[in-house]
Amino acid sequence: MQIRSKKTPLIIVIFTWFLFPVLIQANQNAELLTFQKEILPIFANKCLICHGKEPFQGELDLTSLPALLTGGISGTALVAGKSEQSLLIEKVVTGQMPPGESKLSSQEIEQIRNWINIEAPKEINRINNNNTQSSFLQLSKVSEQDVLPIFQIRCIACHGKRLKEGGLDLRTLTSRLKGGRSGPAIIPGKPAESLIIQKIESGEMPPVEMQLPKSVRPPNELELKILRRWISAGAPADLNQSSKVPRNNNQVHDNPDQVFWSFQPPVKPIIPKVVAEHLVQNPVDAFLLKKLESKGLTFSKPADPLKLLRRVYIDVLGMPPSEAEVESYLQDTSRGAYEQLIERLLSSKHYGERWGRYWLDLAGYSDSEGFGNHDGIRTYAWRYRDYVVRSFNQDKPYSQFLTEQIAGDELSDYKNEPITQQLIDRLAATGFLRTTPDPTDAPERGFITERMNIIADEVEVLSSAILGLTVQCARCHDHKYDPISQEDYYRLSAILHTSYDPYEWIPPKKRRIEIGLEKENQEVTLHNEPLKNQIHKLEKQLINVAAPFVRNLFKKRLEVLPHAIREEFEKLGHTPQGYKGPERLRKFNVLNKPQKETNSEINYYLYSKFKKTLEVTSEDLGQHFPEFKEKTGAIQGQLDSAKDKLLPNPYIRTLNDIGGTPSTTFLLKRGNPMTPGKPLLPGVPSILNLGLKPYQIVVPWKGATTSGRRLALARWLTQPNHPLTSRVIVNQIWLRYFGRGLVPTPSNFGHSGKPPTHPKLLDWLSTELVKKGWKIKTIHRLILTSSAYQQTSQINSNVSKIDPENILISRMKRGRMDAEALYDSILKVTGRLNPKTFGPPEPLITQPNNEITAKGSNKGFRRSIYSLQRRYDPLSLLEAYDLPRMTPNCLERKQSTVATQALHMMNGSTVWEHSRYMAGRIIDKVGFNLEDQIKQVYLRALSRKPTQWELKRGQRALIEFDHHWQLRLKKDLVSTPLQWTAHWQALAAFCHTILNSAEFSFID
Amino acid sequence: MKKIKKNTSLNSNLESVTRRDLFERTGTLLQGTALAWILGSGVSSEKFARASAPATYDLSPKKPHVEPKATAVIQLFMHGGPSQVDLFDPKPMLNKYAGKIPTRDLTTDITSPLESGGLLPSPFQFSKHGQSGMELSELLPHLATCVDDIALVRSMYGEHFNHEPAIFHMHSGRTVPNRPTMGSWIAYGLGTENRNLPAYVVLDDPKNLPTNGISNWQSAWLPPIYQGTRFRSEGPPVLNLESRPELPKPLLEAQKQLLRDLDKNHLREHSNDSYLEGRIASYELAARMQIAASDALDISKESKQTQKMYGLDQPETASYGKRCLMARRLVEQGVRFVQLYIEDQIWDAHSNLEDSLNYSCKKTDQPVSALLKDLKDRGLLDSTLVVWGGEFGRLPLSQTGPTKISGRDHGPSGFSVWMAGGGIKGGTVYGSTDQFGHKALENRVSVHDFHATILQLLGMNFRSLTYERHGLQERLTDQFPARVVSEILS
Repeated sequence: MQIRSKKTPLIIVIFTWFLFPVLIQANQNAELLTFQKEILPIFANKCLICHGKEPFQGELDLTSLPALLTGGISGTALVAGKSEQSLLIEKVVTGQMPPGESKLSSQEIEQIRNWINIEAPKEINRINNNNTQSSFLQLSKVSEQDVLPIFQIRCIACHGKRLKEGGLDLRTLTSRLKGGRSGPAIIPGKPAESLIIQKIESGEMPPVEMQLPKSVRPPNELELKILRRWISAGAPADLNQSSKVPRNNNQVHDNPDQVFWSFQPPVKPIIPKVVAEHLVQNPVDAFLLKKLESKGLTFSKPADPLKLLRRVYIDVLGMPPSEAEVESYLQDTSRGAYEQLIERLLSSKHYGERWGRYWLDLAGYSDSEGFGNHDGIRTYAWRYRDYVVRSFNQDKPYSQFLTEQIAGDELSDYKNEPITQQLIDRLAATGFLRTTPDPTDAPERGFITERMNIIADEVEVLSSAILGLTVQCARCHDHKYDPISQEDYYRLSAILHTSYDPYEWIPPKKRRIEIGLEKENQEVTLHNEPLKNQIHKLEKQLINVAAPFVRNLFKKRLEVLPHAIREEFEKLGHTPQGYKGPERLRKFNVLNKPQKETNSEINYYLYSKFKKTLEVTSEDLGQHFPEFKEKTGAIQGQLDSAKDKLLPNPYIRTLNDIGGTPSTTFLLKRGNPMTPGKPLLPGVPSILNLGLKPYQIVVPWKGATTSGRRLALARWLTQPNHPLTSRVIVNQIWLRYFGRGLVPTPSNFGHSGKPPTHPKLLDWLSTELVKKGWKIKTIHRLILTSSAYQQTSQINSNVSKIDPENILISRMKRGRMDAEALYDSILKVTGRLNPKTFGPPEPLITQPNNEITAKGSNKGFRRSIYSLQRRYDPLSLLEAYDLPRMTPNCLERKQSTVATQALHMMNGSTVWEHSRYMAGRIIDKVGFNLEDQIKQVYLRALSRKPTQWELKRGQRALIEFDHHWQLRLKKDLVSTPLQWTAHWQALAAFCHTILNSAEFSFID
Repeated sequence: MKKIKKNTSLNSNLESVTRRDLFERTGTLLQGTALAWILGSGVSSEKFARASAPATYDLSPKKPHVEPKATAVIQLFMHGGPSQVDLFDPKPMLNKYAGKIPTRDLTTDITSPLESGGLLPSPFQFSKHGQSGMELSELLPHLATCVDDIALVRSMYGEHFNHEPAIFHMHSGRTVPNRPTMGSWIAYGLGTENRNLPAYVVLDDPKNLPTNGISNWQSAWLPPIYQGTRFRSEGPPVLNLESRPELPKPLLEAQKQLLRDLDKNHLREHSNDSYLEGRIASYELAARMQIAASDALDISKESKQTQKMYGLDQPETASYGKRCLMARRLVEQGVRFVQLYIEDQIWDAHSNLEDSLNYSCKKTDQPVSALLKDLKDRGLLDSTLVVWGGEFGRLPLSQTGPTKISGRDHGPSGFSVWMAGGGIKGGTVYGSTDQFGHKALENRVSVHDFHATILQLLGMNFRSLTYERHGLQERLTDQFPARVVSEILS
C-alpha cells in the first residue's frame, strides 16, 4: 500500500507533463477530439509511462492519433474502424500489455474498442482534411535520417558509388549540393527550385526506361513530401549512426552471474571421479559415467568387433569396409589395433567427403539456383565444396576454417598476388555466404525486398551454423526470448553490407572473380577456341542474310518520324554490323551513335528518344517478313548449339568486399525496407561480448581497399573464449555420432532451446578443442576411442526403462544410414564406386521411368557429394531418403520411414543395375559355388560371415531364383547362354535382396 | 506449442497386446500392413520403451483442434494470374474512362512502365446468376450454374508482381522459396485417412511443370514426408511404383519371401526397436501402395456419363477434366490435400486478352463445375473444400508492346478467388476493389487470412498449428497478422 501511495503522484506528474502540450495543440484546433477527451486519459494512466516520451518502448508513441497510426516496431497500433484488427486491442485483450499488475479494465477496453470502430475513422479524416501534408510529419522535424533511405532506395543505383549518371552522386550532402552536369541537385530552403524535386515531380526521374533494369520504383507521394520538407528545413546533414550498446544489454553486463549459460565463456571443468574407472578411456567417459552412475547405470557391454568396425567405417567415412579391410582387421590382434584403425580412417581422403558433407548442410550448399523453371546451374560452386572437403582432410584449425569462409578475400591481396591453389581456396571459401537462392539477375526480381531477403538468409546461415542462435526473428522485432535486439540484428547484417550492399546491388552473375589456375584457363581456351571461330562465322552469315530485311524495316520505321528529323536519322542509319541480346529479342544495331563531341546536345537527345522506336529486333523481323525465320532458322540452330557448348572462363563464386564506403545501414521496422528506422554501424550481438575483445574493424593491410568488416567478425568469433563458437561445432560433431546433440537443439543455444544434457562434458570438449589448436580431429579421436562409443547398441530392457531415449548414452544408438551414406555404401559394396575426387560434379540423367540417377561412366559412379547437388530433381534415391531442402541451410536432418523408400530400393533402376554388377564381380572372384558366393555377399555388404541358417536359406533362395530365371529365359528365347545368365541373374537378385535388407541400411 | 494430439482410437484395442506379440502374429502381407499402420501411428511411446530412435514423423490421422467443416481440400491453382475484371469483378467505370491514363497511385504499381497503356474496359459481358444473383462474366457459363455453392472473394491482395515470388507467397505465406507449403502444413497437421496413398497429392499438367517447379509442393523444413507427391496422370503415377518389367514375377515373389525371412531374423536379434520394425513394415506397405495408387487414378471405372460431364470427350477439356476427375477419386479414397496445376501459365494474359481468356476458360470452366456438381451428387461437397485462384490478378490497364494486341500486366494489389464446399457459405460475395478493380478496398483479405481460413475449415487454428524449428514455433502464417474470414463461412 505504501508503495502504491508513493507511486500515484508520480503518475499524475507524468500525466500532466505529457498531456499538456498535446492538449495545447489540440486546443488550437478549436474542437477537442474524442481521442483526447476520452482515450488519452486511459493511456495516461496505464500506458504512457513507457509510450509517452522518448525513448518510446518499442518505438511506439501513444500520445497522439497520428503517432498511433504510425505505430511502433510491431506496426500500426490502430486500424481505423476495425478494432479486431488493431494491434492495440490485441495486446490489451490478451493481457500482453501493459506488462505487470495494472491491466486495463474491461470497461476501458470496451471504450477504446468503440472509439476505434466508430470515432477513429472520422477523426482521422478530420485531421487529414485539416492538413495539406501528412499530419504526423508535422509533429517531428525532418532530418537526414529521413531522407537518406529515400536516396538509397530510389536514386543511388544510378547516382551513387559505382554509377554516377549525369555526373551526379546523391549519397552525401556535399555531393548533392555539388550536383551533376545540370547543376546542384538541391538548393537548401528552396524545394521548388531544387532540381531533384522538379525531376521527380515531372516524372523524369527515375527514368521510366531505367526503372525495371535497375529494379527501382519512383518515390511515392509521402517520400516526395519528406524530401520537400527536408529541403525547406535547410537540408540538415545530421545523421547520427548509433554504435552505442543498447540499454538492456548493459544491465546484463553489470551482472555477469545472471547471464544465460551459453553466453558465458566455457570454462574447463574438473574431470569427475567415477566408480567404473576401468571403463574410462578418456574424460568423455568420465563425464558420461558420472551421470549414468547417479542413476544406477553404467555403459552396456562392448560391441561385437565386426559390428564396431562397420560402425566406425560408416560414421567416419560414410561407407562400410571392403572385404579386404574386414579381413585385415580381423587378423590384426595387436594391442592398439583399434586406435590405429581410427588414425587410418581419420587420414583417409573419404573422411573429408563424409564430414565435409555435414558442413555443406550447415552452409546450405547447392550446385543450382533453386528458383524459376530451370533451376539454373552454378557452374563453379563446386570450388567451395572442394575447399570444404580439402579443409577437413587437412584438419585445418576450425578458427582458420571459419576465418577463410567469412573473410577469405580480406586475408590476402588477391588482385596482386600470384594465383595459387591456396589463393583460390581462400576466395572459394567465401562461397559459404553465397549459398542461398539469389534470383536478382532478373531485374524484375531484384528489388530491394528481394535483396534484403538474400542478406537475411545469409545472416541466418551465419548465425545458425556458427553461433547456434536463431536471430532471424530479430529482423522484425527484438528477440522474444534471447537478449538479441533488432539493433543487434541489423548491426550484424551491416557487416555483410560491404559485399551485399542492398542499395547498390550487384547481381550474382557479376559477383564473381574471374581467376583460375593456369591449367584450368588453358583447358577452357582450348575447348572454346574452335567454337568461337565457328560462332563468329555463323554470326556473319546470319547478319548477311538479315541485312536486307533489317534495312527494309528500318526504312518503314523512319516514316513514323517527323519530317524535320528523318533525314538526320537516315544519316545515322547504316547496314547492320552486329546485334546484341538473346535470340528472340535480338536487337540489330541500325543506328550509329552520334559522336558526343561533334554533335549538338539536341542530336544526342533525339537519338536517345527515338532509339527505341527505330530499333529492329529479330522478333519484329519474324512478324513482318514470314520468310525471315525460314532463311535464318538453320543458321540460328547451329549458332545456338555452338553457344551451348561454350565453357565459361574459370571463376570463383565469392563474397568479396566491393571497396569504398558502403551505403548506410538502417534498422528496418518490422523488417520492412520501406520503413527504415535509425542508422546503425556494423557490430555483433552485444550479449555475447562478455569477456571478449570487442568487435573492432581494422584495415586488413596497408593500402587495402577492403573494409575489414568481415575479417573483424571472423577475428571476434574465433577468440579462444568465445562463448558459442567452440561449443556449437563440438555439439554438431557429437550429434552426428550419437544422433542427438549434447545440446539437443543444435540450431538454438538460446533460452528457448533445450539445455545441454551434459553441460560439463560440452564445456570440456569445447575448451579441449581450443587448447588443441581448434583441430577438429581432436574431438573425433576422443569420441571414437571412448568406451561410450564402443558400446553395443543392443537394448537391454532394464536400461531402457531408466534411460528410454538414451539421453544418458547407456548404449550406442542404432539408426538408419542417411541418404548419402546409403547411396555411397551401395556404390562401394557393389564395386561401382568411382574414386575420383574433386572438380566439376558428375551430371545427372533422367531414366526412361523418370528416375533421376547419376550419369556414371566406365569408371563407375562418383560419391554422392561429387554428383550434381541440384535443388530441383535431385538424385531420386537421395530424395526418397530425406535429402533436405536447403532452406537456407539444414542444421539437423529428419528421418522418415515411408513406403516410397522401399519402392526405390526394390524397383529403382540404380539398385538393380549395381546388384548385377556386384554379382558379376563375385562370380569372377569365387566362381559358381553357391556357398562361396553367399559368403562374399555377406562379407561385402554386411561386413560379416553368414550364419549356418543364413547359408542354408541363401542357397535355397539362389536355387529358386535360378529356376525362375531359366524358365523366363527359355520362354524369351534369349541368345545368351541360359545356365550362365540365369545363374548370374539369380545371384544379382540375391545381392539385391541383401541390399534391401534392414541390416544393410542400419548402423548397428 | 504442443503438436496436435494423435488419434488414439486404436490404442484401446491394443492395450493388452505387447509389441512383441503383435509382430509374432503378423506374418502375412496384409497383417504386415496393419502393423505398419500401428507402428506409424506411434501407439506406444509410453507403453513400449521406444529404443533410441530419432524423432520420427508420420502420416497417421491426427485430431484437429476443433470439429472440422471439411476433411479434404482440392486446390485448383490457376497460376499465371486470372484477370479479375474480366472474370469475377465487373467494373463499368472502366468503360467510362477507357484509354485514360491512370492516377499516380496506379502508376507506381506497374511492372513494365514502358509497355503500359491506359485503362482497358473488359470486352466481356457480366450478368447475374443463381438465387444469389452473383455477377460473373460470360466466360464462365458453367461456373455460373454453381454460384450458389461458391463464396467469391473480390478483395484478395498479394505483395509481389512477379510470378515466382507471388506463387511462393500464395503457397507458403512468404515470397521467398524457403518455406513449407500449405499442403505440407495440412498433411503435417492432419495426417491422412488412407495409409496406402500419400496425404498430399499433386496432379500437375503432363505438358510441363508449373512455374517454380517442384518447389510448389515442397515441405521445406517440415519433414520430407509432408511434401506433395506428384501423381502423373499418364503412366505409373508414382516413381518406381511398378516392379521392373524384365524381371520374372515369380522371382520377385520369391525375393520378397527371402527378404521377409531375413528381416524377421534380424528383428529377432534386435527386439524392442520400433524404428527398425517400422522400416521393415514399410516394405509391406509399398506393396499395398502399388495397388491402391493405380486403382485410385483409374478413371476407366467411371461411367461414360461422368466422363462426359468432365469433358473427357472434348479435346479442349479432356486434360484438365481428367485431373479434376482424378482429384475426386483421390478425395473419395481419403487423400487429404489434392492440388491441380495447369499447363504453362495460361492465365498470364499479357497480350491478346480475348483469345487468351477464351482459351483458359474453355479449358477449365466445364471440368471445374463438373467437379463441384459431382462432389455434390456424391455427398462429398459437404466435407471437401474446393479452392480456386491464382497468385495474383491483373491490372485494369492495357499492356501494349510495339507489336502486341492488348493484354493486361500482373496486378497483385487486388484480385478474386473463390471457395466452395465444406463450411463455405454458398452464394456469398465478399469484399471489393476500387472503382477500376485495381486495389482491394473493402474487407481486404491477405494471403495469410486466406491460409488461416482454410486451416480453420479443416478444424485447425492457424495460431496453434505449429512446428518447432530453431527454437521458434513456426506456423503457416508466420508472424504476420491473420484472421479467419468468417463472413464467408456457413
